[in-house]
Amino acid sequence: MSEIELRVPLGVGQALRDVVFRRGRHEYVAIGLVSHARLGDRDVLLLRQLLEFPESAYCPEAGHGAAWSGAALIPAIAAAIDLGLGIVVFHAHPHDGLPALSGDDCGSANRLVPMFRARVPTRPHGSIVLSRTHAAGLVSMPGGDIASTKIGVRWLGASIIDWRTAEARSAVPDPGSFARQLLVVRDDGQRTLANARVGVGGLGGGGSHVAHQLTHLGVGEVILVDADRASPTDRHRLLGITRFDVWFSRRKTAVMRRVVRRIGMGTRCRTIAKRLPEPEALEALKTADVIVGCLDNLHARADLQELSWRFLIPYVDVGVNIRAIDYPEPDGPRVSIGGNVLTLIPGGFCMWCCGFLSKEKLDTELDGPNRNYFENRAGDAQVVSLNGVAASQAVTEVLQLLTGFGGRGLRRADVALAEQSTLQRGFRKLDGVRGTLEEWGGTRRPDCAFCRSTLAAGAVAWASPSS
Amino acid sequence: MKPDTIAQAIRDLVSVYGDGVRTAREGARTLVSLSGVEMPPGCRPQTTPMLLVFDPDQPKPLPYVHPGQLLANGREPRSASTQMVGGESWMQFSFNIPWAEGQSIMRFVAAARQRFAQNE
Repeated sequence: MSEIELRVPLGVGQALRDVVFRRGRHEYVAIGLVSHARLGDRDVLLLRQLLEFPESAYCPEAGHGAAWSGAALIPAIAAAIDLGLGIVVFHAHPHDGLPALSGDDCGSANRLVPMFRARVPTRPHGSIVLSRTHAAGLVSMPGGDIASTKIGVRWLGASIIDWRTAEARSAVPDPGSFARQLLVVRDDGQRTLANARVGVGGLGGGGSHVAHQLTHLGVGEVILVDADRASPTDRHRLLGITRFDVWFSRRKTAVMRRVVRRIGMGTRCRTIAKRLPEPEALEALKTADVIVGCLDNLHARADLQELSWRFLIPYVDVGVNIRAIDYPEPDGPRVSIGGNVLTLIPGGFCMWCCGFLSKEKLDTELDGPNRNYFENRAGDAQVVSLNGVAASQAVTEVLQLLTGFGGRGLRRADVALAEQSTLQRGFRKLDGVRGTLEEWGGTRRPDCAFCRSTLAAGAVAWASPSS
Repeated sequence: MKPDTIAQAIRDLVSVYGDGVRTAREGARTLVSLSGVEMPPGCRPQTTPMLLVFDPDQPKPLPYVHPGQLLANGREPRSASTQMVGGESWMQFSFNIPWAEGQSIMRFVAAARQRFAQNE
């Protein structure tokens, strides 16, 4: 039996469950429009849009859990053709444990899927049944036959909730080492950390803190991406660096690999000494469960933002800015110290929604037509302790995403700043002079062009022009 | 670019590159990938995948080649930079390809190849 993973963005998961677990005179179905991608060794379906039938579309028919008029599918098929997406029919069997497709489910899928595939041959199509804890289905990947498939589901909400296809997971190496964080993380959370893969883009002042802390937490694998080499100006803030690293101009990835190994908590370390968005860096980060960006330019942040939204990978961004005040008050502060820790959960607000990224800001960063003309910010002021404040919060955000110690709900209300608030948690502002890290919240803009075009867009679905 | 122009360009590319042409839609944009375009003498490798991005809001397509494509001198073009297009890495090397809507797309591809080689 083949295996695939289904990823469901923030807000959509609860909507899907609300439809298919609805109680009534018949079973209810939801129609998902999906893209897909091959991420590492996994085929992943990315749920982009959810449609439901009006009550009037259901037909009372003996012997069927749910029967609906053929015309009810027309809007979904039209949308799938228009957007170039696959169609997945969801329904539920309200029990715990692995669900089995009934003969009726299989018959229905074997009728519908070839029809969907004829309309959009470049995307997967299928029928998926959810229980309260697991999923299974019949899925046809592009170019493949309809196959009975184990479905792992990744629900994105206040944290990542995984419904796995198998319980076999790596054990926690040396569990005693983590005894004093178990109150927060719990045994199961520690196992989740041991099986997690976290990507870190940028290994400077922020990224070196993040790499250290992820290792101490017991994260199973870190993917460390940075093309730079150690230089004398790194010594005041890059944790773990030695003077020999500077003398030998060692790569920052090599410095951090040594750190991870010496901490010795069982964390595997994959290093990519490339810049974003070089192919090796992109391909490695696509396989991460969470990405942390500790970057010094907006273009690379825009790349990680796109990677995150396109493949539904939560992204935590860290940045600290220190500026001289031109005309300081006597005895007043000489500098302003600002910073951000953004926790971007696909389906929630993005960097474009909250104005952190804009075309004007990206253009300002360049002194020419493309990224070959970067205005260099490598000389910006940095202080180890201030980087550490922002980076520590970023790692706490990763901990929340992976273990849900602060809550695990899938609804938008579960990530709201306060009850009834339209602001979503996850936009924290650092004021290094006052010593505060304040939650401002961010707002998802329904008209955000980036979200509309990129959320769950998946890999490009190449096709022969004749097809 | 008008939709008719884009459709004609794809037909022209298929007539020359045959099965080496793949297309995809990304929002309003049409992406066209050519699996093996011959580069000017000395370039390494000698053939490369090329991506053409047709945007209805732009007067001409944007060309990209596979990252790592080198000039005859063993270097990347001076103004080349790696960009993410459709979640993939591609090398952008020039905006100044002489071409106008109505001209053959093959003329654009030829000009892009030459421009790549000149960009030292």
